[in-house]
This record gives sequence, structure tokens and C-alpha cells, in this order.
Amino acid sequence: MSVAATRPETIIELRDATREYRGHAGTVRALDSISLSVSRGEWLAIMGPSGSGKSTLVNLLGCLDRVDAGSVRIAGKDINTLSRKELDQFRAETVGFIFQQFHLIPYLSALENIMLAQYFHSMTDRKEAMAALERVGLGDRAGHLPSELSGGEQQRVCIARALINQPPVLLADEPTGNLDAANQQIVTGLLRSLNQLGHTILMVTHDPEMAQMADRIVELHHGRIVAEREVSLAPHTS
Amino acid sequence: MFPRLIMESFLRQRRRKLLAALAILLGTTAVTAMLAIGTSVGDKMNRELAAYGANIVVYPAADTLDVQEDGINIRPATAGSYLKEADLVKIKNIFWRNNITDISPELPLTVTVRTANATQQVPATGYWFHRTLRSGDESWTMGAPALHPWWKLHGSWPSDTGNAIPNEIAVGSDLARQLHLHLGDPLEVQNQSVRVAGIVSTGDATDRTLLVPLALAQAWMGRPGVVRRVYVSALTKPEDALARKDPNKLSPKMHDRWYCSPYANSIAYQIEETLPHTRAEQIRRIAQGESTVLSRISGLMLLVALAALLAAALAVAASMTTAIVERRQEIGLMRALGATRNTIAGLFFTEITLLALGGGLLGYLLGSLLAGRIGEQVFGSSIAFNPMLLPATLLLAVVVSLAGSAPSVWQAMKMEPATILREDA
Ligand SMILES: Nc1ncnc2c1ncn2[C@@H]1O[C@H](COP(=O)(O)OP(=O)(O)O)[C@@H](O)[C@H]1O
Ligand SMILES: [Mg+2]
Repeated sequence: MSVAATRPETIIELRDATREYRGHAGTVRALDSISLSVSRGEWLAIMGPSGSGKSTLVNLLGCLDRVDAGSVRIAGKDINTLSRKELDQFRAETVGFIFQQFHLIPYLSALENIMLAQYFHSMTDRKEAMAALERVGLGDRAGHLPSELSGGEQQRVCIARALINQPPVLLADEPTGNLDAANQQIVTGLLRSLNQLGHTILMVTHDPEMAQMADRIVELHHGRIVAEREVSLAPHTS
Repeated sequence: MFPRLIMESFLRQRRRKLLAALAILLGTTAVTAMLAIGTSVGDKMNRELAAYGANIVVYPAADTLDVQEDGINIRPATAGSYLKEADLVKIKNIFWRNNITDISPELPLTVTVRTANATQQVPATGYWFHRTLRSGDESWTMGAPALHPWWKLHGSWPSDTGNAIPNEIAVGSDLARQLHLHLGDPLEVQNQSVRVAGIVSTGDATDRTLLVPLALAQAWMGRPGVVRRVYVSALTKPEDALARKDPNKLSPKMHDRWYCSPYANSIAYQIEETLPHTRAEQIRRIAQGESTVLSRISGLMLLVALAALLAAALAVAASMTTAIVERRQEIGLMRALGATRNTIAGLFFTEITLLALGGGLLGYLLGSLLAGRIGEQVFGSSIAFNPMLLPATLLLAVVVSLAGSAPSVWQAMKMEPATILREDA
């Protein structure tokens, strides 16, 4: 696990990042000259109406996509300078993904889903994968297929998978969007403890209450940041 | 993890994969059968076809001269109108000796037959039945039965070593019926006691003759060591423009080319060279038919095999395209988790290769069985399993499957993880 830095250090820096989609209906500027920096250990919430560019931003931050103009630096690396292969490797090492739809491989058990991330990163380690599963409280469900798990349990497997390679950045795209209140609580609790352990978390959410968990909230509109505010250190309910 | 992914992936979309494997199986079955028949029967088939008749007849040159004076044929009946039996082995020394599959001399005569209840003049012909020819270290068994594979024999062919004067004969089925002769019956021919070793049914005039060892016929004629004519069966190249040229009018270079092509004509020419005072002539219709039939059959088989392989490639392509579309979320996820394009391609190609190997192996087995059946039914000869064909078949299956799936795997490689996970946020 990465340890919280004593001095805030910039881990992500976007400069005039622009991303356009060219389709037959014309060009859509999904992100329009966005500049944003995130410190190591920070928890950032990204909000905004549908179509405002949140997914596009998350894709850029997750090294799943590249900017058309401007630059993205993550952990000191300029993404634009990386080859496709280097980017694949960099992504595996730097970013852990938590998806709204969980995206677990349906034919692999919970444990194997975690080992898959190990496999694509470097090599599998069953013990370590098991430990990760225990940390999210699913040690007894290792052999279960995703279809045999509840939504909340699937999302916890997804979190364990995101963490398995100890990436400095966690990207959570509507992590509780598909969960009921009780599971939302569990997942939120997990994210908070991860943040306390020093993980940088970038989280897209529609839920204002959820956003309050973050250190900072940025709001997108038409591909631009229209509002940005620090969350007051209100006592977290725990 | 990789084997686990392959295995699980293998169990996915089983029906579609089964279909693709089936297509590969059918394709390789056709190819294996074709190759097996092509390699093993090709030769045999050629021989079988060649055996539907001699394609060259050799006779004394004197026979071609119509020496007539005052309407009377004065061609000397003794001089020049026979070939020497001892010379025939020379036919196996010509340039195209390996294409000569059979040499069958004949010596026709009329004999007096005395049975228990009748005496009668009947036509007889002296033949080789299973005569072993030797030249150097090589030896071949030749004679009339090999030239006429459709002859049906009850009993056995007369023993015919070429040394001792034999005392066994075979009788044409019509003649046997007429003379009330049965297998093993004794009879007297030209005052010599012989025994019926076999009864032959040929479907032509031979059914009304005696078929006797050549040595016996020579003895009865009082002309040891002669034959009247020789039928030669040879594997030949289909006749083309060059084959129809008059060899004496060709340039030396073209003449060499003509000479060194196994046309029936050039083989006949070489026989004339090696046996002086003879004429060797192509028996045209049949010789040409053989080659045409053979090339048509192999052409047809090649076409069928190619079509089957093309179908297999298309089936694999279709199966892979849908498989990859259905699994694009999964591919996107794997990419997001750090899988490179090559890892994804490796996954699919490994799976396809395994599928191809499985289908190809079954196809090889099935194709070999099929070839065996075809060999028995069509060519009347068995075709053994040819293990040399297995690697060739497997390679072909893999190449065809990889080629068929390459476009869709390329699509999978090109999928960007961002667009795949897009419906998400
Ligand atoms: N792959 C794409 N091709 C074309 N247009 C796209 C694509 N992805 C997103 N867009 C467009 O870009 C804009 C921002 O989309 P997105 O980032 O998905 O917003 P959000 O996640 O906030 O809903 C939208 O107008 C959307 O239609
Ligand atoms: Mg979106």
C-alpha cells in the first residue's frame, strides 16, 4: 500500500486537455481545454449532468484514452509520450478501476477475477489475491461466480481487483450507482478506508451525499469545469 | 491463468465453436481423403486405369507389309512374323522403363482337343500368366491377368515358370461349358495330357478359347521362343500438341523433349528402338481416355477439397466475428486491466489453433477412413493410413482457421478499452 505523503505532491496534472469525438453528425468537443491537478492521497469527486464529459475525463485519467490537445501527466509521466504498449503497461501499474457495472468476467470465480488483474499486470499470486478478497470481507466467497454474488459483493470483488496491483490511483466510475443503500454504505466505507491508507481516488458520482465524502468536488458542464470546491472537513459518519 | 482463460473461453459459445470445428473437420476430411487418394491411389489409380487395356501393341514389322503378288499373299509365314520371347525383357530397359506396368505376349494357334466324349478343333492362345522378368537386380511379375484385371477366374492360373513344359491350362467359360469341362478335369490337347487349372470368364471372344502357358503353345506350334504380338501397358502423359507431332520432323531439341516425355507415342518409339524389326503402336482411344479420366478425377477432388477448406475458413470467420462482438466488454475489461493487443490476439489465436488442431485431427482420421472406403469401392484397392499426412493436414487446418479468423481478431485487437467501457459512466 502506498503511504500518505506528508507534503501534498501532484500525482495527476491535466493541462488544457481537449478531447473531441468526430462522428458523421460533426465534431463533439467532449472535453474543452480542461486543466486540473490532483494531489497524491486526494479524493476527488467529479460531478455534472449526463453528457458533460465525465466519462471522457475518467477515460483520460485512466489512460484508456488520449487527449487531442493539451497534456496529461500521471505520476510524473506524460501520457502522450508513451507508446501504446507502454501505455497498457503503465495503466496496469498505475490505475485501479472500479466500474458502475462491476465488469467481472462471468465465467471466472471471484478469486480468479482478482488473479486476472495480477496476470495482466505481472504474474498471479493466489495467496495475495485471497488476502485481497478477505480485506473486502469476501474470504468465504472466493470460489463463487459473479452471478452467485449480490451487487454489493460484486462491487467489493471489483474493488479488491482494482487494488490488487497496488496502483497509486483508484478510478471509481459511479461505484455505488447500481447498489442499494446498505451495499452503498459498505462500498463507501471501503473507499474511505482506502483513502485513509493513502490511495488517490477519482470518483464520478451523481450522488451529492456521496460527493461529500471526497476532499474536493469538480463540476463539469459541456466539457468544461464550471465549479470546483473543497469539501469542508465535516465529520464523516462512521 | 492463460490455460484457464483458454479453457473457459473454449467452453463459451459452445454451439458456435462446434460449428466452426465441424467446418474444419469437414474441410480437413475432404483434404485428407484427397491427399490420401492422390498420393496412395494416384499411382494405383493410374495403374488400374491403365489396366483397362493395353495402350501399346507390339508386332513384327513384317506384318505391316502387305506383300501380295497376283492377289496371293506371299509374305513368308515363317520369317519375321514372330517376336522373340527372350527379347521382351528389353522393354523394361527403355528410357521410360518405370512407366511400363505390364508386358503381355500372345501366341494364338489352333489346337485339337480330345475330351471324354468329343474331339474338336479350338482356338488357343499362349500367354504369360505370372511370369517373373529379371533385369539386373530388379524383377517384375507380368502377364495377361495384370493386363485384364476384369477377367474373372475360377480356380487358378496355370503354373507357368517358363522353365519346364507345363501341363496346366485355363479354359474360357463358354468353351468349358460346351466341352463340359470342370476344374481339375483332364483332357488331351495336341495329344498331350493336360489338366484344367482354371476357368476364365472375360466377356469377349476369349471365352471361347483355351488360355495356355506360352511355352506350351510354342511347343505345340513347334516354334520355341516365339510370340506373335505383345501388349504393353504403360503410364502415360496425356496427349498434347507436342505428342501429336511427327518425331521425325522435330528439331533435335524438340525431339529430345518429345523423347523424354512419357507420351504413349514416345514410349512406343523407344520400344521400336530397342526391339529391331518391330512395330509398336499406341492403342489410341484407351490410352487417351485413361489420362483424361485420371486428370479429371484429381481435378475434381482438388476442387472439392478447396471448396471445403474455403467453407471452413468462412465458418471460422463467422464464428469468430460473432464471438468477438459478444465479448467486446470482456476484451475492453482485459485491456483496462493491462492486457496488450497482442495478449488479446494471443488468446483468440490460441483458442482457434486448438480448435483447428482438434477439428484437423478428427478430419484426418475421418478423411483416412473415407479414403479407405473410396479406395475399396471405387478403385478396388485398399489405402493404408498415411501418418505423413497428419502434420500436413493439421498445418492446413491451422493456417486456414487462422486466416479465417484474422480479420475479426484484428478487429478485437483494434478495440479501444475506452469505447468499450463507455456505456458505463
Ligand atoms: N465515443 C464517442 N463517440 C462520439 N461521441 C462521444 C463518444 N463518447 C462520448 N461522446 C460524446 O461526448 C460528450 C461527453 O460524453 P461523456 O464523456 O460520456 O459524458 P458523461 O459521462 O458526463 O455523460 C457527449 O456529448 C457524448 O455524446
Ligand atoms: Mg457518461
